[in-house]
Amino acid sequence: MPLPATDGHIAVEARNLVKQYGLIKAVDGVSFQIRRGEIVGFLGANGAGKTTTLRMLCGLLTPTSGTALIDDIDILAQPLQAKARLGYLDEEPFVHPHLTGREFLNYIADLYRMPRGPERQQRMERLLRLFELADRDGELIGAYSHGMRQKIGLASLLIREPSVLLLDEPTNGLDPRSARLVKDLLEELAALGTTVLLSTHILEVAQALCRRVAIIDRGHIVATGTIEELRAQAGSEQASLEDLFLKLTAGPESRELIERLLAPKL
Amino acid sequence: MNESATRIILKAELLALRHRLLKRSPVRLVLLALFLLVAAVTIGGAAFAAGLTAGQFLPNESDSILSGGFTALSVLMLVVGFPTVIATFFVGRDLLQLVLAPIRPMDIFVARLLLAMSANLLISSLLLMGTLGVGVGSGAPFVFFPLVVVLIFVQVLIVTALQAILMSLVLQWVPARLARDVAAAVAGLAGAGFYLAWNLSLRQTFSPRSRPDFTNVNAVIQRIEWLPSAWPGHALSAVIAGSLGGAAIWLMLSLALAALTIAAAEILYRRTLLAGLGVFGGPQAVWRRAPAKPASVVVKQGAGSPARAIAIKDWLSYRRDIRRLSRMLPAFLFPIGYALTFLRPSRSINSFWTEVALFGFISMFLSSALATPSIPSERRGFQLLRMAPMTMRQVIRAKVMLTLPPVLAITLLFTIVVAATSGHGIAQLAEVSVLVVWLGIGFVSIGVSAGGIDPKFEASDDRRAVGVVGTLAGLGGAFGFGLLSVGAFALFVFGSAAAAGTAQLGPIPSTPIVGALMWVGGLGLAVGAAAIVVILLWLADSRLRTYEGTIAAV
Ligand SMILES: Nc1ncnc2c1ncn2[C@@H]1O[C@H](COP(=O)(O)OP(=O)(O)OP(=O)(O)O)[C@@H](O)[C@H]1O
Ligand SMILES: [Mg+2]
Repeated sequence: MPLPATDGHIAVEARNLVKQYGLIKAVDGVSFQIRRGEIVGFLGANGAGKTTTLRMLCGLLTPTSGTALIDDIDILAQPLQAKARLGYLDEEPFVHPHLTGREFLNYIADLYRMPRGPERQQRMERLLRLFELADRDGELIGAYSHGMRQKIGLASLLIREPSVLLLDEPTNGLDPRSARLVKDLLEELAALGTTVLLSTHILEVAQALCRRVAIIDRGHIVATGTIEELRAQAGSEQASLEDLFLKLTAGPESRELIERLLAPKL
Repeated sequence: MNESATRIILKAELLALRHRLLKRSPVRLVLLALFLLVAAVTIGGAAFAAGLTAGQFLPNESDSILSGGFTALSVLMLVVGFPTVIATFFVGRDLLQLVLAPIRPMDIFVARLLLAMSANLLISSLLLMGTLGVGVGSGAPFVFFPLVVVLIFVQVLIVTALQAILMSLVLQWVPARLARDVAAAVAGLAGAGFYLAWNLSLRQTFSPRSRPDFTNVNAVIQRIEWLPSAWPGHALSAVIAGSLGGAAIWLMLSLALAALTIAAAEILYRRTLLAGLGVFGGPQAVWRRAPAKPASVVVKQGAGSPARAIAIKDWLSYRRDIRRLSRMLPAFLFPIGYALTFLRPSRSINSFWTEVALFGFISMFLSSALATPSIPSERRGFQLLRMAPMTMRQVIRAKVMLTLPPVLAITLLFTIVVAATSGHGIAQLAEVSVLVVWLGIGFVSIGVSAGGIDPKFEASDDRRAVGVVGTLAGLGGAFGFGLLSVGAFALFVFGSAAAAGTAQLGPIPSTPIVGALMWVGGLGLAVGAAAIVVILLWLADSRLRTYEGTIAAV
């Protein structure tokens, strides 16, 4: 496994991010720092605030208060510079259903003012082959399956080589081979200095890929650090990431709930 | 207790509607309610007054008027209410859930039929007011009034069931993935044909140099008397004439027709429900294309440009979106209809100003059809633009630049054709062309802004792509801009004539000073018109910059 090429430079920073929807604080004072070349896992239960945090970091949502910095650039103060470095993949990727995969990649490359020419063309072909989309070229994205849409979304990020990747459940819906491909790809990219923050519900992905994780629960960060640090924090040497996750985002014991549900009716 | 499935479905729908309403801010709700109230009172009042007058002064025509009214209503419902009917019967993931649940298709059909009628009922309230007016005006007996309500309700039922039948038939014979597009095209063509026919009949009715000729209208109506859509009208006029037996016969016929169409619709719907859901339940059908030729050999050079990227993307999407194309058809036929109606060769001075008004209308119409949906039609892809390193000002500019060429091309072509047929000189053609270009730029900018001020990115239909606020801003802006611009144009034209000493301005002398004053006034109006455009563009920019909504998939 290649060693992460971190040089201590902070690539992504959340400072006290708060997002309020009516009376509900979906995200309530989230702060963390990610160094360049790191892959950080963002874990949390459904509705904990992962997507909301990521969307504030990429500038799709304006925080109620707090600051999001990409390479020390405030995304609200200097949006264009920050956005040029950023690639964000939504839970349900943003695509144009009436374009083919190749047309869509060209569209994105043009939006980011990438030079047109043989180099771009080559890179595009390589990505399409990598994600096994090359021979589906006559097809419009609207006819893609869920996993294929996820893949074209990823390809549209990678074609422009952003230095920071924010990925919301990138392996969601991918077959095991493609999921493996994404994992390997992210490791390679990180080794080359790309910073990755990815949310996921698949703890094996987090465990295999991320040196550090951040766990969010009901809008608050409840733990950050390496898995060893989390173990020390929880005081159990042998605990798996799943145990730690369940302990840190405590709810009622599921076994108890299941028993109550299946109990014979009175 | 066992509630009927129909009731459960309806209750869930009403609950969802309530939540949707309550989600809005109270101020907007109150404004919306006020607006609707005013609209209902004025429009309903006008319909009532028209009916009243007709009932009072044309007692012999009440049968023609009533059956014509019911027929017109049916056609209107058939065209305008169609998208709602398709949506309620065949679209929506909630329908999938109903199909999976152990519910009889009959229950689904009834629940959906009641929902689908909502749009048609709204349209029919117009006829309701008019018919009540006829009843009051002609001093009809009391039974007339409850009978009106019953008959209109029955008519709405029939038309809605007919729409469900049409959709089911399309589904049976057209390959499923094309069905929706075919249905939209059928509705669009029916609408376009209706507009054209209507325009042509108007043209005959309002023949030049004579008073409106109503015998023509009567002739048209007499031709449609045998149509089932006219039966309720016959029933009502029989009541007015005091023939209750005749009324009962027409009423029974209408009821029998309703029972027949509903039964047919139910049977067909049951057979096509599953086939239809495959198409309509998911995201919109996208045509599979044949594999493209091997990647183009010519590799383009130079830096990528966002504006060009948006242009290419929009062009490709538009070309492939049959539904949007079919909706454009009426928009393009509209101006032609107007032209046929109001234009005829003549060499009088007045015709010049009629033409100027006509160009203004066409420019405004085309712009609003093409420009208004241009930002909302990005749908979820709008988020890509927000994430890209570009400003919303650039996005707006790209959209304006993109819509301008077709609008200018069509309006200029139209201008040249009209100028050629009406025999104006080159000088006048040049003047009018400048005006047309100015109007095109302004109206397109206003249209794009209206879409940016109140975009509904989730709307699957261009006609619902802009909210109430945006629509009002766009309409108001366009009227203001149009009036000021044409006013400025008139001042320039008359000012020039005055300076040359050839103007006929009644008591005002035709001198250079007067000409200069008119020019100054014209400049003032032109600046005002430009200011409206700039303000709307600015509003759209600031609204889009702070846009925050999440855009749900599908
Ligand atoms: N537009 C919105 N309006 C109101 N509340 C919202 C909105 N978006 C998110 N929320 C709320 O914010 C909270 C966090 O949502 P978020 O989507 O960030 O969760 P998540 O961690 O991504 O969950 P999941 O794992 O299910 O994707 C939830 O309680 C959600 O209901
Ligand atoms: Mg999420």
